[in-house]
Amino acid sequence: MKKASKKIILLGHFGVGKSSLIRQFVENTFTTDYKVTIGVHILKKEVKISPEETVSLIIWDLEGYDDIRKTRASYLLGTHGFIYVFDVTRPATFENLKDDITYLTNQYANTPLKIVGNKADLVTKTYLKENKDMFAVAPDFFTSAKTGDKVDDMFIALAKELVK
Amino acid sequence: MLETYRGTYFHPRTQFITIDASGNVLESDDILFPVTKGEDISTISAFFEGLSAYFEAEEDNDIKFTCVHLEDQNKREYTCDIEFKTFADATKPTLIIIHDFSDHYKYYQEVAQSRNESVINSQILELKNKYLKEKEDFKNTFIANFSHELRNPLTGVTAFCSVLQKTDMTLEQQDYVEVIKSSADHLKNMIGDILEVSKIEVGKLALNEELFNFHELIEMLEFTYSVKAKQKNLEFEVDFDKKIPKYIEADKTRIKQILENLIENALKFTSSGKVTFSMQANQKRARKVNVNITIKDTGIGIPADKLDVIFHSFTQLNNSKKFKGTGLGLSIVKGLVELMDGKIVVESDEGKGTTFKINMNLKYPINQEQTSLDKKSEIEKKNFLSKEKYSVLLAEDSELAQMAVLKILAQEGNFFLDIITNGEDVIESVIHNEYDLILMDIRMPGTHGDELTKMIRSLPVDNCKTIPILALTANLYDTDKKRYKKMGMTDIIEKPFDESTLLKKVYKYLK
Repeated sequence: MKKASKKIILLGHFGVGKSSLIRQFVENTFTTDYKVTIGVHILKKEVKISPEETVSLIIWDLEGYDDIRKTRASYLLGTHGFIYVFDVTRPATFENLKDDITYLTNQYANTPLKIVGNKADLVTKTYLKENKDMFAVAPDFFTSAKTGDKVDDMFIALAKELVK
Repeated sequence: MLETYRGTYFHPRTQFITIDASGNVLESDDILFPVTKGEDISTISAFFEGLSAYFEAEEDNDIKFTCVHLEDQNKREYTCDIEFKTFADATKPTLIIIHDFSDHYKYYQEVAQSRNESVINSQILELKNKYLKEKEDFKNTFIANFSHELRNPLTGVTAFCSVLQKTDMTLEQQDYVEVIKSSADHLKNMIGDILEVSKIEVGKLALNEELFNFHELIEMLEFTYSVKAKQKNLEFEVDFDKKIPKYIEADKTRIKQILENLIENALKFTSSGKVTFSMQANQKRARKVNVNITIKDTGIGIPADKLDVIFHSFTQLNNSKKFKGTGLGLSIVKGLVELMDGKIVVESDEGKGTTFKINMNLKYPINQEQTSLDKKSEIEKKNFLSKEKYSVLLAEDSELAQMAVLKILAQEGNFFLDIITNGEDVIESVIHNEYDLILMDIRMPGTHGDELTKMIRSLPVDNCKTIPILALTANLYDTDKKRYKKMGMTDIIEKPFDESTLLKKVYKYLK
């Protein structure tokens, strides 16, 4: 069986649910208590992307910043993929979506990136559909760390892209 | 001794580890994370996986990672800064230095927690406010549209009551009509209140300043409410400061509405004693007089914990059927006072009485002596008409409104009335007939009344530029009114209208 190890980083404003997404994906748990992340937590999960291929995801959960450029450069070394997370209920977390995505795609041109609108359980699907223009860049996934909706799909989709 | 102390009190918090090119441990002092020689460094934490990707093999590297969370075998968490030193000289192994700064970062964590929570809470609050505002705007628009729809049928009721009252009826029938009329008036006032509140709340209510005799207004109020007070065996005392200028430039209707509302309320909630209406002038400056208005009663009063809510919409503290009303009066009063840049406060002693105090500026013309007002009633103008019969076009699709106008004008005996129910036919009729006045419904099928007016004004027919066109409408927002005027409408008759309102406006514009 083929096995690869890939480092992925979750970026985005504070309080958007990056840690919760990881906890849901890795441990299948969720808590409504908000505990701010400082620095970086690293978790690992093996993902089977086909009967004969497994990817070991080394997931770096970074402290949230309101400006992506403030992210410590050393954290980003050797990154294979990015997940940019925003909170669909807080406009402040997606006001700079376009700039941030442009920055990432310019700086890390060949690094796969998934754009994720989290906390989708707090709004209706119709709301997201009707207000999709609010997000300057179309998200790849609307997830809910609380219900687990689309969380595995999102990580697995990125994992598959990393081993292409 | 120093060495003994060091042995007792010094707890080294830094670990040194060397690894080979494959990431296997060569040496470790195991200060923080015990690790066996030959083991992969990533057994300490996934953080160390794929290390080689970080370094340029051709040169010396020194890379620092700050605030990295690591766990030891007992699941105890450390927050560390980690340094990597690699060397171009392949014989030298990679050095990893782990500094435990858990205590320092614990403090940083607490600060960040409180900062982030406060930012997130304020963002959420802002969003909630925005949501509430949108909800409020929706409510007000809904109310405005709804009250518009109610006004149309009410026009029929009010107008036909006036018409019916002039027919031969038994005394019993006259009483019934009176009941219908008074119920319709009551309903009309309530709809008016609701619409007014929504207009104030969305900022669409504009003041209409005019020059009027302020002393006369106060005398009228004194007379009206002395009679009403007497009917309830109450005393009504007026203390009016004559230093307040006789002529005032302000929205007379709204000032009257404020005062009437407060005095009516005072009388309503007082069963014995007296109601005092006082008005005192403070300073006069730059054509403005600052006045204090006080309306004091000896009524039931307001509980202290309810004083804050009495100015809210739909709030009526006493819900018993004894005191009728929508609960909008005080909300409207407050809205109007604030629209006039004034302030209103309330003081009350439950069981003893309530005092409302208003402070506001009133504009006045400097030369009071030379100010005069033309008071000729519009309806009186009919005695000075130049023609025996006037030709009037009524463009209106509502049969009820058609019949109401027809009945009212027919009784006067001064009019020929043409009725057109479709917007498209209006222009043709205007071209072929020489009308003296047009009554134009706004929401006409086909083309709306304001659009039709614009077309009429641009027709190459002699009197089309000057013919009075009066809008019949229940759209009472100032923006609508301004639009109608801009489209060329001469004046507006608000629905529901009664006989005297309609005739006043019609006679006003006939030559």
